Amino acid sequence: MRRGYFYLFGFLLLMGFDTLAQVSFKYAGTQALPVSASLAWLLRVFGQPWVYGAVIGYIGAFFTWMTLLKHAPIGPAFAASHLEVVSVMLLSVWLFDEHLTTPRVLGAIAIIAGIVCLGLAESREHVPETDSAPA
Amino acid sequence: MPAPTTAITHLVAGLWLFNVLIDTGGQLAFKAAAGDPDAGDGLARWKHMASRPWLWLGVGCYAIEFLVWIAFLSLIPLSEGVLLGSINIVAIMVAGRFLFGEKLTRLRVAGIVLVTLGVAIVGLGG
Repeated sequence: MRRGYFYLFGFLLLMGFDTLAQVSFKYAGTQALPVSASLAWLLRVFGQPWVYGAVIGYIGAFFTWMTLLKHAPIGPAFAASHLEVVSVMLLSVWLFDEHLTTPRVLGAIAIIAGIVCLGLAESREHVPETDSAPA
Repeated sequence: MPAPTTAITHLVAGLWLFNVLIDTGGQLAFKAAAGDPDAGDGLARWKHMASRPWLWLGVGCYAIEFLVWIAFLSLIPLSEGVLLGSINIVAIMVAGRFLFGEKLTRLRVAGIVLVTLGVAIVGLGG
């Protein structure tokens, strides 16, 4: 049971870091508009704090992912590492006044179903390793 | 959402495509770095990897991708952006199949088809 909580906490932490990164990317990009392949754009990107939120999110996600992979089965870990699309979509409604249009909801359902299939496929391929993985 | 101008749409499509290519390139470079059988273990492994181009090619790809992704997300809604970005999962699996001979089981093909379908729905429908 303790192992279950460990995984759940790990997956939620991974999702949290990924979500932080994506939201930070959006803020950083919006504040650096207009986009251009120029030094001025780079200076605008790195001249405000949000870009560093993205860096923290990336680094946090990387170490959480590496720790999870050592202990958790790869299939669920793979799926969890990509399910931040759900949290990011919901947050973007709240933070950026975006709309959950029909194509976005339908597309998200298909993508999530696909990610679950891929996670299941990984689980099947790595059965021996996951069985012997210590917690 | 106001109708985007054609120039912006082209820029978004270009950034999206570039992001897929560079993300896949970066992952393959890391795979080549990590999968080198001569690399040894522990610190020696890291030294071996650092003395070869693959690790640095991967780092370079990710640094560029970081900027490309910021530019991409600044032009479209975040909810749409993260969904469109899911295509990277498909690209890396297809690349793994062709370059490393990784098996595409029925379940994997189903996953690839579903993710691609979802991205197409979002991309065409907005």
